[in-house]
Amino acid sequence: MASSSSSGLTFKLHPLVMVNISDHYTRVKSQMNPPVTSTSCSNTNGNGNGAPAPPPRVYGCVIGVQRGRTVEIFNSFELLYDSATDSLDRAFLLKKQELYKKVFPNFYVLGWYSTGSDAEESDMHIHKALMDINESPVYVLLNPAINHAQKDLPVTIYESEMHVIDGIPQLIFVNSSYTIETVEAERISVDHVAHLKPSDGGSAATQLAAHLTSIHSAIKMLNSRIRVLHHYLVAMQKGEIPYENSLLRQVSSLLRRLPAIESEKFQDDFLMEYSDTLLITYLAMFTNCSSTMNELVEKFNTAYDRHSRRGGRTAFI
Amino acid sequence: MDPYPSSSQIAQKTWELENDIVSVDTPATSSSADAASDAIFYYDDVAQAKFQQEKPWANDPHYFRRVKISALALLKMVVHARSGGTIEVMGLMQGKTDGDAIIVMDAFALPVEGTETRVNAQADAYEYMVDYSQTNKQAGRLENVVGWYHSHPGYGCWLSGIDVSTQMLNQQFQEPFLAVVIDPTRTVSAGKVEIGAFRTYPEGYKPPDDPVSEYQTIPLNKIEDFGVHCKQYYSLDITYFKSSLDSHLLDLLWNKYWVNTLSSSPLLGNGDYVAGQISDLAEKLEQAENQLAHSRFGSLIAPPQRKKEVRALFCCFWIFKRYLLNMRACHECFYFFITCKVSMFDLKSKSCVISDCPLCYPLWSNLFLV
Repeated sequence: MASSSSSGLTFKLHPLVMVNISDHYTRVKSQMNPPVTSTSCSNTNGNGNGAPAPPPRVYGCVIGVQRGRTVEIFNSFELLYDSATDSLDRAFLLKKQELYKKVFPNFYVLGWYSTGSDAEESDMHIHKALMDINESPVYVLLNPAINHAQKDLPVTIYESEMHVIDGIPQLIFVNSSYTIETVEAERISVDHVAHLKPSDGGSAATQLAAHLTSIHSAIKMLNSRIRVLHHYLVAMQKGEIPYENSLLRQVSSLLRRLPAIESEKFQDDFLMEYSDTLLITYLAMFTNCSSTMNELVEKFNTAYDRHSRRGGRTAFI
Repeated sequence: MDPYPSSSQIAQKTWELENDIVSVDTPATSSSADAASDAIFYYDDVAQAKFQQEKPWANDPHYFRRVKISALALLKMVVHARSGGTIEVMGLMQGKTDGDAIIVMDAFALPVEGTETRVNAQADAYEYMVDYSQTNKQAGRLENVVGWYHSHPGYGCWLSGIDVSTQMLNQQFQEPFLAVVIDPTRTVSAGKVEIGAFRTYPEGYKPPDDPVSEYQTIPLNKIEDFGVHCKQYYSLDITYFKSSLDSHLLDLLWNKYWVNTLSSSPLLGNGDYVAGQISDLAEKLEQAENQLAHSRFGSLIAPPQRKKEVRALFCCFWIFKRYLLNMRACHECFYFFITCKVSMFDLKSKSCVISDCPLCYPLWSNLFLV
């Protein structure tokens, strides 16, 4: 059902959306299967403490901004969908939309999300239902199964396209690629929670250590990626791998960008920024030193001062 | 694999040892471990109702000591605070209590702004709050509102006078309630999340002396507000938690946004804020200098030496101010500071020109030469 999308829209996904969906799913799952330790839980499930019920699918709406060909998904909220009767709670959706409009006036409903491992036929109903709000909604699917072996995000974005199958024009889902977009504040908080750094303002040393660790891992990542590319190119040169021209073009364009940082202008800018940082550190250290100096002088004065004391008590040395 | 631990591993182990890092071991494919870490997401309304009735906080003003914030709530609050720019924004937090800890599961923004001058901002937002809570209950979020958060863009995490009175009111009628303050500007410039959680003491309660908390600089125009009320509330320890699915997603997310980590530069992003901070520092130094020069005992104790210190400090301010002037002129002037020649009065000769050398060498030499 899923082939590559051809609509030419670029999708940008914010990490907040993923955390939102994951939280929604965890909540519903946890409420359905109360933890084993709570003894006074009211177990409506009827499954008892044995095998947990299969996790339910949760549904929700994604909102964001569409500028030209770029679709940026910022936020999301839950939807009420009854899978037995295939009905979407419209009043709820409108109410929620209104509430979110008040706080985020720029965001529009861009589509909907769900959890599961693959897009299903029934999803098309919801998709069609949302088409009257947005004529081409997107469908974000999150796979909640935790598989530690996978390296890629378990999130897929689908669009709907009209294809002719068996002579009948049908809407089917097609896969689209997306990128992760983040603002600085979002990145910092995601980073913070991802590595659960000490948050109580521990000593400056631990904060610095944590910051340097994250920079170090980023650089390590860059290094490993470049290494992979290098190996690939060497193998291509030896003839082990068939030539792939599009990849070679991309690599060469990347390499052509590198000399840009050798220019004199860059050196000047870099040196200026470098000296700025050094100067600030120096000024700060200097202020520190003058205050220590001040304290020393005060102590000296208090111990050895002759002028202020009346009544003849000479300083002892 | 290397049989001997690499130097980085040794360094990491040393760091962990020094900082008492306790790692929570979650075995990879154990569903019971997942269940344990996700147990916090379960809302037990019977236990919660019981806790509400008991009201153990009524007798002990210092009852709640810890706050646990979920990854989602933190992310939402920081993004919302940052989106306000230099305007204060506020919102509510939903969650539950757990012994002496308040757990914040989610947060949502309120459509009000600029709360510093309005005590009853929350009255306007009641309708929104009620609607939102109702829809949430339908959607499966059963927690109640357990606190409010707002932002102090650029001036630190503390409660202002109005915040203190709002929170005292809340703690009378909506217990248990928590106040959280976020500073998005400092978050971005420092690279770590600036957040503080507070609860006020009831009227007339004299708290035992707090140990001195970590120093944070507060701009001069706010410092009075801070000082007057700082003893009326106490801060709680904040820890964060996330579900197993969250951790999994966040780990994978790292693969995508490591580029952003490398390309971010706090200096570029926050130029105005840095300028503001430096000007504030200069003003503070000037005030300190004035007090020094005009204090009663200043004229009694060793006048020549005192004057020298004053002049030394004054030169320092002069440099800061000159720096500041350049920054105010235009953003790019920040970079021109290094190249501009700063002339300063040293104590011997009347002027000397410094370009990029130790600019304080004359100062030092004069301080030492009696």
